[in-house]
Amino acid sequence: MSSGVAHSHATGWRAALFRHETVLFLVLVGEWLYFNAVGVNFSTLDNTYDILRHSVEIGLLALAMTPVILTGGIDLSVGSLLGLCAILFGKLWRDAHFTPLEAGACTVVIGALAGGLNAALITELRLPPLIVTLGTYSLYRGLAEAITRGADTFTNFPSSFLFLGQGRWLGMPAQAPVFLLALAGIWVLVHRTTFGRSFRAIGYSPEGARYAGIPVERRIALTYILTGLVSGVAAILYTARLGQARADAGTGYELYAITAVVLGGTSIFGGVGSVHGTLFGIAAIAVLDNGLVHAFMPREAAGVLTGVLLLIALTGSVAPKLWRRRQPKAPPLKSP
Amino acid sequence: MSRYFREWSVAGALLALLVVLAVFARDFYQGQPLLSLATSETPTLVVAIGMALVIICREIDISVGSLFSVCAVCAGLLATAHVPLALALLGSVVTGAILGAFNGVLVAGLRLPSIVVTLATMVTWREGLNWWRQGEFVYLPNGLQWFGLSQVGGQWTLVAAALLLLVLFAVALRRIAAGRFLYAVGTDAEAARLAGIRPQAVKFWAFVLMGAFTGLAAVMNLVQSPQIDPKSGTGLELKVIAAVVVGGVAINGGRGNLWGAFSGVLLLACISPALVHLHIEAYWEKAIQGAIILLAVVADGVRARRARH
Amino acid sequence: MKKLLPLALAAALVLAGCGKPSAANAGGKQITIALLPKSKGNAYFVSCKAGAEKAAKDLGVRLIFDGPTDPDPAKQNEIVENWITLGVDAIAAACENREGISTALREAQAKGIKVITYDADAEPDARSFFVNQATAEGIGDTLMDDAAKLCGKEGEYAVITATLTAANQNEWLKYINARNQSAYPNMKQVTVRPCDDSKDKAQSEATALLSTYPNLKLIMAICSPGVPGAAEAVKQAGKAGKVKVIGLGLPNENKQYVHEGVTDNIILWNTEDLGALTVRAATALVKGTLKPGDTSFNAGPMGTFQIKGDNIYLGKPFIFDKSNIDQFDF
Repeated sequence: MSSGVAHSHATGWRAALFRHETVLFLVLVGEWLYFNAVGVNFSTLDNTYDILRHSVEIGLLALAMTPVILTGGIDLSVGSLLGLCAILFGKLWRDAHFTPLEAGACTVVIGALAGGLNAALITELRLPPLIVTLGTYSLYRGLAEAITRGADTFTNFPSSFLFLGQGRWLGMPAQAPVFLLALAGIWVLVHRTTFGRSFRAIGYSPEGARYAGIPVERRIALTYILTGLVSGVAAILYTARLGQARADAGTGYELYAITAVVLGGTSIFGGVGSVHGTLFGIAAIAVLDNGLVHAFMPREAAGVLTGVLLLIALTGSVAPKLWRRRQPKAPPLKSP
Repeated sequence: MSRYFREWSVAGALLALLVVLAVFARDFYQGQPLLSLATSETPTLVVAIGMALVIICREIDISVGSLFSVCAVCAGLLATAHVPLALALLGSVVTGAILGAFNGVLVAGLRLPSIVVTLATMVTWREGLNWWRQGEFVYLPNGLQWFGLSQVGGQWTLVAAALLLLVLFAVALRRIAAGRFLYAVGTDAEAARLAGIRPQAVKFWAFVLMGAFTGLAAVMNLVQSPQIDPKSGTGLELKVIAAVVVGGVAINGGRGNLWGAFSGVLLLACISPALVHLHIEAYWEKAIQGAIILLAVVADGVRARRARH
Repeated sequence: MKKLLPLALAAALVLAGCGKPSAANAGGKQITIALLPKSKGNAYFVSCKAGAEKAAKDLGVRLIFDGPTDPDPAKQNEIVENWITLGVDAIAAACENREGISTALREAQAKGIKVITYDADAEPDARSFFVNQATAEGIGDTLMDDAAKLCGKEGEYAVITATLTAANQNEWLKYINARNQSAYPNMKQVTVRPCDDSKDKAQSEATALLSTYPNLKLIMAICSPGVPGAAEAVKQAGKAGKVKVIGLGLPNENKQYVHEGVTDNIILWNTEDLGALTVRAATALVKGTLKPGDTSFNAGPMGTFQIKGDNIYLGKPFIFDKSNIDQFDF
């Protein structure tokens, strides 16, 4: 697998135009214009809020996944962890008689701890993240099923709690501020702090980062704890939106989240990518998903088109490199 | 011993499970049910062989579940059109190989990351199949089941075919140059290139083989029952990847063998029936599976850590 | 990158602002009915859709049939909310998450959309009517009575369910267990195994059950792919006739096994009729010919159906066996 990434040397507006994020943004605008033309009641404020509401949980997972993938890792356990956190939240509230606030706080801590388990296995034992989180993907979902015996459902939450998922605050969906806060927080972390920049350094070259004095293991551990914590938050929003928590909550969300991140231009090998790219990736998928309903297209189309969009985005991202490869090849010997 | 620690430890875990079953659940050891269990796992084994090849050369394919379903439906439709079984089999293998080649072109030709490419093709083929077939079962004509043999004959044929394929490829990986190429490419593609191997070609053919094996597995599944569920491949990719990795094939490429992958397939295949036999409630199953995957890799990690210090 | 974010926000605002106001109804005179299955691509709902399409054509209404293709339990809510902004006239839902989807259905009612449920009910205040194909209690009792009859009221039986979290199945199981305890104390339910709604998994589960419980007399599969899966396992184990198979399944998937004597009978209702009745009831509700409080519903060529409370009854579950299964094609 090639981990080296060609850096564009062009500067100014031309570079900005060909940047992955810009292209994706144009795709997003194109989607919007298309569905505005063919869809019924697509570009209404209500529908815009629907899109926002429906993509908050997967969006949060994708935002948190971005630093993980930037360091060259992956986290397959987020969907299962969302399920586990959701039923633990329900259990704490219903059986331990916690208030939703207390239960929520505990849930977020549990999420962070579960993320910590991933982190410990990956950094302490130097195990591949794909396999560790494949194991915890099974383990966390399994624990959720074991605790509820599959059948137990938590419901009848107080309306003050449900407001978080269903109500409106200052006219926008009540969960939107949480998402915007997370977006701002993770964006600043990744793009505006030296701390966050180390994620990309690690993804680009872990050994290089180590020699540069970055505590590689600690930083990597942090990214997994962050996804765990955010899975806990997403579980609470999910429970509030649906008004129920069951052991199958969040099934398949890990793949949606990864798709959004990768579509957003973050390299799966790490080192390259951005948080706003992920935001556009989430939006492109969510608008497609929603718009097809308004254009009276079947749901399967959303899946097929997401897959195709991902392939096009990937191919597009290597097109300049392929072009350059047409130039005469360098001699095969590399200096050591 | 230490070189094959992983393979031995998985075989050990499998043995331990079998001993537990021998002590607490004698009923597990009955000829016919065991043969049925083995038969129903033959498609998994065949896909796992292909997956091991792909992972050894440091790629991954998560589209096999969707490919499996597509091939099964294609073969089924061919069979319903009263095409001879041999041709239906060929059709399925070719379908698989073409879809595998598509992955291969994107991964090897355009040098795109395989995990993302196959994530995209997984979704595309799966939803495309749903769109096309709307989940309808395919009902096969009479006389197709067990290749028209008796049930026991058919079951032994499938088990023998899968084992033959396993032995063939296990030996080929060690003894044939092309087999060694996979390890070379998986260990260091650049070094392999300097040694005169064409890494992209090796990867491309690994994906084609993966697809062809998936097509073959789909037919091996098809002949086991008179109707095909178009969702039969759902989740297959994770099951197979888990089995292969538990069996000691390194996800970073260049390490592992098919005997380990074989033990991994057997171990994971036995868990579910073992839980039934040990009277453990079904809701523990996923947690136990996850714990076993983690234990397998943790054991390895702890050992490697000791070696480092 | 600095320039892009404000640009994105500005564009989003402009696009949202220039949008048309949401209309309460889809323009034009044609009524639009949205039919939501629990999952698309499930043979059961595909056959509901076939009946629904016929009825829609007959009535001249526009039918949208859409639902989740993946096992994501939140997807149904999202589709319903999409339909609300789309402005359909009526929504007919088969609910995967009783409490969860009620939230979205109430929202639809608040926007003036008529809501009915079929197959699996929501909370009563979230819909006007429930097209009831058979009560959970009726299904549970029928299955358990059938099992007891085949086993001679005593012996071991095992259950194969869809997934451990499936709400419908868990509801049926509750009544199966209740009936078991009250009427057949000598029947012993040895275990419940999930098959992930896959025929192949059901087959391997059943194989393990057969060797674990040598005294097993019957396997009851309460999801449609489970019945042929269990039957194939029994057949392969050479225990056809000795271990009975029953369950909730579709005639086409089980014909062969019923004729071979592996499966004794399957229980189901006429799914095409269920789809058709649902569409007819939804249309009548929009037109105002069906109102809360009615005690019967005239469904045109389908005849008149009884309404008790707010449940429109399709009729009793039907038992398909050797004698009648060939008359049905769905």
